[in-house]
Amino acid sequence: MTALSMRPSTLETFGLGTVHEIFKRGTLPVNAEHAVEQVFGKASDRGSLVISGASGIVGAGKTMQLAARLLPFGVPVIALDFPGAPDGIGKHYPGLADSFGPEQASRIMQGIIRLSYDGKHLPPQLAQMKPRFLLEAIPEILEAKKAHYGIFKSAFPEIEIRSVTSGFPSSELGVGIAHPAFPHHINKVWEIAPPKGSDITTLLWSLGMIPIPVGDRWSFVLDVLFCGVTLAALRYHQATGMPYWKIDKCVRKLVGPNPLRAHDAIGAKGADFLTWSCLHHLQKQYGDLFESTADLVERKESGQEWYPPDHFRPLVNWSLAGAEEDEFRVRILGPLLQMTALLLHEERAHLSQLNVIGELCAQFRRGVLAMIRGLGRDESLRIVKAYHALHPQAKGSWHPAAFERIETPAWQQLYVNAEHDGQVGVIAISRESYNGDVDAELSRAIDWLKREKIDRVIVSGDFHLSTQMVGADTSDFFPALGDKEVGSRISSGWSRTARRLHEEFRTSVGFINGKRCLGGMLELLMHCHALVATRGAVVGMPEVTLPVVPGMEGCHWPFRKADPSAWPQIVRMLLTGKTIMAEEAVGWLVDFAGPLEQSLAVAWKIATGGDHGIRLRSVEGRSLKERQKEVADIPPSEDPNIEAGRRAIMNCILESCSVPLAEALAVQARHSSDFMGSAPCRKGRIGQEFGKVMNV
Amino acid sequence: MNVTDMIFPRARIPYGTWGSSYFPAWQSSPLAEVNIGQFAGEAFGRILGLRKVPAEALEYLITASTIPWHWKFWNSPLAASCLGHRIPGYHVEQACATGLQATVLGAAQVESGAHDVVGVLTFDRTSDSPAGIFPERRAYRRTEVISDVWDNFGFDPATGNAMITAAGKVARKYKLDRNEVDDIAYCRYQQYHEAQASGFLQRVLVPLELLDVRGKSMGMIDADVGVGRPTRESLRAMRELDTCVTSGTQTHAADGMAALLVTTPEKARELSARPEIDIRFVAKVEVRTGPSLMPEAPTLAVKKLLERTGISLSDIPILKTHNPFAVNDAVFAQELRHDWQNMNRTGCSLVWGHPQGPTLMRLLIEGVEEAVDRGGGHVLLFGCAAGDVGIAALLSVEEGGKR
Repeated sequence: MTALSMRPSTLETFGLGTVHEIFKRGTLPVNAEHAVEQVFGKASDRGSLVISGASGIVGAGKTMQLAARLLPFGVPVIALDFPGAPDGIGKHYPGLADSFGPEQASRIMQGIIRLSYDGKHLPPQLAQMKPRFLLEAIPEILEAKKAHYGIFKSAFPEIEIRSVTSGFPSSELGVGIAHPAFPHHINKVWEIAPPKGSDITTLLWSLGMIPIPVGDRWSFVLDVLFCGVTLAALRYHQATGMPYWKIDKCVRKLVGPNPLRAHDAIGAKGADFLTWSCLHHLQKQYGDLFESTADLVERKESGQEWYPPDHFRPLVNWSLAGAEEDEFRVRILGPLLQMTALLLHEERAHLSQLNVIGELCAQFRRGVLAMIRGLGRDESLRIVKAYHALHPQAKGSWHPAAFERIETPAWQQLYVNAEHDGQVGVIAISRESYNGDVDAELSRAIDWLKREKIDRVIVSGDFHLSTQMVGADTSDFFPALGDKEVGSRISSGWSRTARRLHEEFRTSVGFINGKRCLGGMLELLMHCHALVATRGAVVGMPEVTLPVVPGMEGCHWPFRKADPSAWPQIVRMLLTGKTIMAEEAVGWLVDFAGPLEQSLAVAWKIATGGDHGIRLRSVEGRSLKERQKEVADIPPSEDPNIEAGRRAIMNCILESCSVPLAEALAVQARHSSDFMGSAPCRKGRIGQEFGKVMNV
Repeated sequence: MNVTDMIFPRARIPYGTWGSSYFPAWQSSPLAEVNIGQFAGEAFGRILGLRKVPAEALEYLITASTIPWHWKFWNSPLAASCLGHRIPGYHVEQACATGLQATVLGAAQVESGAHDVVGVLTFDRTSDSPAGIFPERRAYRRTEVISDVWDNFGFDPATGNAMITAAGKVARKYKLDRNEVDDIAYCRYQQYHEAQASGFLQRVLVPLELLDVRGKSMGMIDADVGVGRPTRESLRAMRELDTCVTSGTQTHAADGMAALLVTTPEKARELSARPEIDIRFVAKVEVRTGPSLMPEAPTLAVKKLLERTGISLSDIPILKTHNPFAVNDAVFAQELRHDWQNMNRTGCSLVWGHPQGPTLMRLLIEGVEEAVDRGGGHVLLFGCAAGDVGIAALLSVEEGGKR
């Protein structure tokens, strides 16, 4: 039976099938070796990657990122630029050495061949390197780009070309687009236009990147959202005179990004020019919704930073009270919602992808669609209408009908999808951290599978948008710092969802397929009857380092599943926050850890009731008679907050294990919420982050 | 000149676009720790924001202060940058007359057609007075160090006397009665506290929160810190420092800023939340009196102004004085036969302190607000300034044709 799903998988948007198929086949749709071969040829005839404009911010970042990932496959990376271009590559070396160690970093650098050219003639030695893929990152001048492609096409007619352009559509450029996100050396997201599968898209995915097919329009999803929120901030300044730095902090509080700080951090002149350029193109297409402000026009030339210099750190604070706060909300959210409606109207991307771009690339705390969904259709329309009252020039290009389908699964399952083949369901989570949105969507996914009479399920990342599982989204805890009721509601609510995986399925398998699975995500997956991981994945409970007391039953559930002889390891994990490799946790936390394909096969066998050879552990429902003890070899922390966290976690372990399973959820939730309301938590990382982000 | 003439017929002060910080006494608030020019620029930006005036509306900025501040060389353009709008401008000062003189110069800018919307920003920080080091070849040390605030208060190089000496000298010249001077001071405190309690001052004064370099709050500037509640008895009991001068009958040093706009009639209607209110410049005069007679100079300036305009004091409902000494008001009342209770009804610098640059501007704003409350009329502003100078200016406030 072909798998049914709540909504299409994001992998399907570039032809890689569903997550369910990955488990059913026990293999990924394509492996990196094959994808590299498709683009660069066989190992015996391997061609090269050329990155032109390699000394620029984008070119240099992508040179480092791709060189590191292509090194194992022997693909040379040719960094091409003008002879006088300032070196943008060398400055990445310290970061590279930090990430990979000096030896590997040196090997990566050795794989980068720097060549100069004059813009008209390619260097003669280039032909010997058999260029197969050109990633163009030269300045945003259409004619220059076209001429550049012409030179390469005439020299290497078979070469694949992708532009990193920040604004031109593929139809204008005549080549495909792979538009990356800042910071370029580490951000894995690429917007791909036209939105169809290709060897290049597959290559990027197989190298661990996140390609996102998008409609071939002027400016990309990220640029519309990021330039849009920047413009909204500047318009607020224009309307009220509030200083840029303060607006920036208020924008961060409201939606997450610091758009103006980001421009300064990237380099004000270049970033301002790109934002202006993006808005300039968008204004031509869509009207004055995107009209640049005079200060942006001026600063793209002057390069003056938005934040004041250090010797002029702001003296006079501004506050938003009452009506001012309402107006601020309208002036920031209004254009953002309207621009999102435009993206939806144009069907720019799969909604989950459109939603997640802002989170992965522009620090939005929630994706724009999740935010709109939270506001509700009527409130979203009211906000845009109120914005138009304040700024009537923006009334064009408004597509309110885009919010009509907010109740459909495509909107409702932005982060969690469910698929099944009539026997086994797969729940795929597309968000790296667990939050209220994920929790609600997970519950709906479970409901759907139950309605579909599915009682076997695998819970996993989505092999695409979520490349790791980092735990709970701690920004969801902000309201709990001052309100224990909120903390209790979060902890018990999320725990109840997690328990459904244990209680409502005949078999549930948690699958750890990314680099790491930590904290709340690990607590979620440990509720499954079996936990399978890929070798090399890292697991851990870092809550104590924040500090918080784990809220999703992490203080008793693993003890109830493990032999008492393993309890010291669990206590150590909880009290130190240190991570371990999944294979080190087999038998007491993880049930199987092996190479990817083997782990996929084991997970599928467990889910289908096949012969998997794993002894699954049961959960002790009674109170645990043997008491856990402090582990002697944990050195005391110099941080009194962490010491307080350790004491609270230990108390939670002792109390939640000493009651039956039915009572333990409430005990854990109480400990978790009590600690979140305590001074050590408020002084810790979450409290500090709360102070920095929310107390502005 | 007569009453129907205006010195600057084209210039207007748009109602309600102004604001002043509170004036905390020197060394008593976080204002003592900041670059006052930067503070003033940012505070003006905040005031414009609160008044719903876009900073982009400003075309020119006149800054005015008397005490050197860090990066003073960059004066108005720098303060404009702090305000968030890069416009040209210049800096002026005239000791304690600065706030009024700068406003008049703003009107001149508009009148000349050079600029349609001129910001006038006054400020000073008396706390931690900067010290200037001057080569002085005639001094035995060859170098003189001047603490800008206190050394100047204490020594008028033209006369060799201190300010306080001038107050005592004038008290003797006019044979003032210590009891009456104390009563004037007591009355001024009463007037201030009544205005405070009525909410009047909150329309003029803007609370401002100050941040340290980490962006953490250093506290609110939301009170005229240092203003006491002396009784008649406590005033009478104070030690006389010179004739009729005690610590209760003289002002105190303070820190602060005040700002307003001067513009054309059309722009005033556009920028003001109450466009029906028309605030115009009628006249302005200055006098210089004899050596060390500074407290009588304002009275002489008012006499001259009345003479030149032909207007009678009885036709002026609002009188606001910069009165660093209660002696000033006693001389004025005596010479012009005016009831000293019938002036400074919402407070004055004798009570709320004297940051120098912004002092007369705060008085101006208070005076105009008081006139608006009364349905319009003339506002007479006057005060003394270093060098035995007196300044007086007359504004007219009309509300929808009502004067």
